[in-house]
Amino acid sequence: MTDVLTIQNLTKSFGKETVIDGLTFSVPEGSIFGFIGKNGAGKTTTMKMTLGLLAADSGEITVCGERVSFGQTATNRHIGYLLDVPEFYGYMRPKEYLWLCGEITGLENAKIKSRSEELLKLVGLAGINKKIGSFSRGMKQRLGIAQALLNEPKLLICDEPTSALDPVGRKEILEILRQVKDKTTVIFSTHIISDVERICDRIAVLDKGRLALSGTIAELKAKHKSGGFTATFDAGTDKERVLGVLAENHLQPIGVEETEQTIENLFMEVIL
Amino acid sequence: MRAYLAFTKKEFIENLRTYKLLILLAVFLLFGVMSPLVAKLVPEIMQNLGIGGIKITLPEATAMDSWVQFFKNVGQIGLLVLAVVFAGIMSNEFSRGTLVNVLTKGLKRHTVIFSKLTAAALIWTMSYLLCLAVTYGYTVYFWDMGELQHVFLAFFSMWLFGLLLVVLLILGGTLFKTFIGSLLLAGGAVVAMTLLNISPKIQKYNPVTLCGDNTALLTGVKNASDFVPAVIICIALVVVLTTVSVVVFDRKQI
Amino acid sequence: MEIIRQYLPFLIPLIVIELGLTVAALIHIFTHKTYRKGNRVLWVVLSFVQIIGPVLYFVIGRSDE
Repeated sequence: MTDVLTIQNLTKSFGKETVIDGLTFSVPEGSIFGFIGKNGAGKTTTMKMTLGLLAADSGEITVCGERVSFGQTATNRHIGYLLDVPEFYGYMRPKEYLWLCGEITGLENAKIKSRSEELLKLVGLAGINKKIGSFSRGMKQRLGIAQALLNEPKLLICDEPTSALDPVGRKEILEILRQVKDKTTVIFSTHIISDVERICDRIAVLDKGRLALSGTIAELKAKHKSGGFTATFDAGTDKERVLGVLAENHLQPIGVEETEQTIENLFMEVIL
Repeated sequence: MRAYLAFTKKEFIENLRTYKLLILLAVFLLFGVMSPLVAKLVPEIMQNLGIGGIKITLPEATAMDSWVQFFKNVGQIGLLVLAVVFAGIMSNEFSRGTLVNVLTKGLKRHTVIFSKLTAAALIWTMSYLLCLAVTYGYTVYFWDMGELQHVFLAFFSMWLFGLLLVVLLILGGTLFKTFIGSLLLAGGAVVAMTLLNISPKIQKYNPVTLCGDNTALLTGVKNASDFVPAVIICIALVVVLTTVSVVVFDRKQI
Repeated sequence: MEIIRQYLPFLIPLIVIELGLTVAALIHIFTHKTYRKGNRVLWVVLSFVQIIGPVLYFVIGRSDE
């Protein structure tokens, strides 16, 4: 498996604050790569440097074997980029915008036409012809994906694509990302861990500009086997009795937790 | 080249749909009508007014009065409106974050500058020519045009100064990323040039001459040699400042 | 009367342009709910202030949404 993206010893500071501190990792082809970290951990900075929008202080980034240099955007022909809150020209219609993007990347007219129709269908915007200015956030996000995939990039970089959305919108976006993974490697930054578990097969955890953890989900789960387990009983079970039985057999639980209905599940049930 | 045409087309769509084109055409059309109107009205109003019982008799208006008004209107309020309309040309893209998508799609940064300059320059040219044509129409209809000197140079100078203003707005927007920054840089440059004009020696090299003394050129009070150095300097400034904008923009972190 | 006739070639285009700008601004104001700066009442009033009002609305007040 070849690496679509490699990052070597990357460093970046804004003023005195070091945001990225000797970061090294690589993303193999065909994966959905979860890039996890708290807000301000340096995820966006790393992505913007990969796109040549920010200058790195030191270190090297290569995309499909080509080195990224700041200000030049040659490597961007391999990349599709989706922002957390993508902004478009509000006075344009979705098809006009995709057409502009297609002409900028140098696709043939016939290709732009077929790709835009295909992608607008994929993201559920087919037949929507109103101006982008009146779009909801979810719709903008979906148009963002269509725009990012237009030139059939080898690498799709998504910066917190779900964090500005409601649960329904999040689910839709994750579903679309899952669908494109056969054709494109996806890097997906987020601070929402449950999103990562839903679709990623590899992760890297970023903390204070350094790599805290990385590997495939299976590897990590195997390596960091939990010391314990959780047993869940249904609502009718008498808690005291269960604890009593455990105590009789000299089994001492470290903690007891009452399982609550998750609000997310409730929300989904009510909405859908 | 294709990306340049595509982005220039986008600029035109933007100017059309955000009403900038409409505003500029309407305002300059208005100045085109107003200039001969004011020229014609002023002597008549003065005659009918009669301040303090003294009857003031001004000579009948001439074609030249119409051109005086034309250069005054276009050179002052006209350029101000042009500046206000195009002050957001760069800053709107920065403040809304709309450049990120197109740049990551592989659009060259200098193409952004050249496309914006092309669209703004063409719109300015259209507005200016419209204004000129309308004033010309009224002026030949009402007056005898008489002998005008250095016609091309007089009208070209005003257009060239407008172009310099557009370039200054783009540079200001690129440097400061804000609407105000763009306006202040262009305004500051015009003020500085106007102050420099106090020294008579500098006048013929100073681009600000191009939007101030045009009627003197038409009447033949001033010669082409009083304007040509300023024209050359202005063209040089347009080229240099556009290059500076490209270089600055290439290094901007977005 | 004579005077007005004399100035008719100026007045007609002036009125058409000014009215055109005001109407264009008013249509935009009433077909949009949000403004970048100011509110509906302010812009409706201002769009009757000739030339400068509609220009200000389209440059400062108009919103894409």
